[in-house]
Amino acid sequence: MEAESPIQFPSATEPIPAFRPIDPRVVPMWRLVDVIGNAVIFAALLVVLFIPKVAKFGHRPWMFACWGSLLVATVLFDLWWRGRDYRAWGFRLDERVLEIRSGVLFQRMRLLPLSRLQHVDIRSGPFERRFGLASLVLHTAGTHAASIAIPGLDANEAVRLRDHLVAIGGDDAV
Amino acid sequence: MQFEEPPALESEPQPALADFVEAPPPNPQRNIPQIFEGRLHPLTIVFGLVKGARVLLPIIPLFFFGKGRGAAVAFSVAAVATIVSALARYFSFRYRIERGELIIESGIIERRHRSIPIERVQEIRVEQGVVHRLLGVVDATVETGGGGGAEATLSVLSRAEYERLRQFVFERPRVAANDTTGAEVVAAPEDEIIRRLGLRDLVVAGLTSNHWLSAVALAGALWNFADDIIPDTYYLRATNYLVRNAKLLAVRDVETAVIGALLGLLAVLLIGMVFSVAGTVLLFHGFTLSQRGDYLRRRYGLLTRRASNLPRRRIQVLEIEEKLVRRLFGFATLRADTSGGAREGEDDNEGRDVLLPIARREEIDRLAPSLLPDFAGEQSEWRRVSRLAIRRGVLKGALVCLAAAVASVALQRTAVALWPLAVVPLVWWMNVKSYHHLGYALGPRYLQTRRGWLGRSTHIVPIHKIQAVELHQTPFDRRLGLARLSIDTAGQAYTSGGPQISNLPIDEARAIARTLAQQAAKIRYKW
Repeated sequence: MEAESPIQFPSATEPIPAFRPIDPRVVPMWRLVDVIGNAVIFAALLVVLFIPKVAKFGHRPWMFACWGSLLVATVLFDLWWRGRDYRAWGFRLDERVLEIRSGVLFQRMRLLPLSRLQHVDIRSGPFERRFGLASLVLHTAGTHAASIAIPGLDANEAVRLRDHLVAIGGDDAV
Repeated sequence: MQFEEPPALESEPQPALADFVEAPPPNPQRNIPQIFEGRLHPLTIVFGLVKGARVLLPIIPLFFFGKGRGAAVAFSVAAVATIVSALARYFSFRYRIERGELIIESGIIERRHRSIPIERVQEIRVEQGVVHRLLGVVDATVETGGGGGAEATLSVLSRAEYERLRQFVFERPRVAANDTTGAEVVAAPEDEIIRRLGLRDLVVAGLTSNHWLSAVALAGALWNFADDIIPDTYYLRATNYLVRNAKLLAVRDVETAVIGALLGLLAVLLIGMVFSVAGTVLLFHGFTLSQRGDYLRRRYGLLTRRASNLPRRRIQVLEIEEKLVRRLFGFATLRADTSGGAREGEDDNEGRDVLLPIARREEIDRLAPSLLPDFAGEQSEWRRVSRLAIRRGVLKGALVCLAAAVASVALQRTAVALWPLAVVPLVWWMNVKSYHHLGYALGPRYLQTRRGWLGRSTHIVPIHKIQAVELHQTPFDRRLGLARLSIDTAGQAYTSGGPQISNLPIDEARAIARTLAQQAAKIRYKW
């Protein structure tokens, strides 16, 4: 009852559009967010070193060396990671399906039948606005993938993409 | 960036789209009014008062023994508030069906208005406790695809009123799906019983259920309850008696003590089984699954009667669950996820998701086509995943065995302590076995997946119910060129995390994912 030969799927032979990258400006934005986050964390760590009870043991040079090297390592890792993460993101769209890929170590590919879209949100936080970016949040009636976000889209493109998606999928209106 | 123009209006067949969108065409045969209006049963007031009284009763002693007048005043205020709110609820509660919407209005000070499109009503469940049954009223719950639980609770309705509501929501004249002229109307057919469970079935279900432990817990709770009633002295005497005799036994000879302990264990197990059977019978007594036109009806319960109407086309996922014990005896349970009433994390003890508590596996295979629309003609063959699945499973198991062996050797430095390594062949055998039960079948309308060897579960998903398809690849997956495919549907709450296929070769996984997504997109989603 089991078959071992490769199955012929009808859509496997159809031409598939290439993945579209997200806006490269998202990388400096992510990095800025990282810088601010790291600044807060490392400032806090430095403050800990000057707490009287800790300072009682003396400010050994190795403590600051640890702090410094951790800082350098974190910054370098973030710089590299954001670049990799950016390249992992991508999406493609045909008449019926939106496909989103993401993830560096744990890779994910999500396929969304457009007629299942419940509604589409555009989200842009203060950082995204400064960089002229926006995220698209797609909502389905599903359980685990009930909302799927595509980050780092050009703000105008996000609006156009949303209008396009709503036009295709939207006539099954809620 | 350029996007293609949105395609022109699609000419795909949209079966029975007009079902509920517009008000139904007037049907001379059954003369259903265009606007349906209803109220709760007057007993609502009584039930409201009883509910309020339950809260107030514990305060009454305070009223009698309290010295100041404060307690009396507080009690009177609370009592009046209870009466007023019970009356207010009854008199302000109104519901009606207007232009395809169920509209519910309630509240006097704060008027609440809720409208539910009828096409979104998933299910109307009714519950009837013993008192309800004597008085001929029901608690009705209207579920929609919202997933946050009941959308509207109509408590309490008279039986006749519920029947009227049910007919209006589910049996409004529907144009036959394959009838393009739209002129002919499907008459509401009679109930056609699919399966009725007798006492024997339920006893078997109770005996094979995995709920022995919870039954033991129930026994514990009863014990606790008895504890409150039985005087402490009696309790103490019994304990003393037991302890004295146990000591005597242990002193006399060890064998008797061991046998005694074993007998005790057996007794606990037996009690557990009795409770498990009793619980199953109580919950599912008189279980009847029937079909009426396009929807499935379930009725069950000994003391509290429950009933629900589930349109077949609203089944999102069907699961055939064969837990270890049941599988050994060739039994299975049939569950369904509907997009209404997703209650993730909530312990379900009312059998909401169960389409059939217990049946022979062959019987379920025979029944499945009648439960899912168009499943009968489905042509698909079972396909296996990559054989690498065995290797991975064995490797994982072997690592666990190795860790166990290391720990064991660290504790006692003998060669015998290496015994966990002897389990490795067993691990291999189990993995081979479970590999042969791992697979999927992709047809034009349904995707089926199955997994598990000791306890098996088979999922049947109508492709047009798919909300999203996900492919996951861990670093290990990538090294072996494999991927895991998971299917997201609405209201996955009961079918253990939904259908998944692991260890698929990546190309095959991509092709399946694309096929599923394309197929799903072609058909409009209907609730």
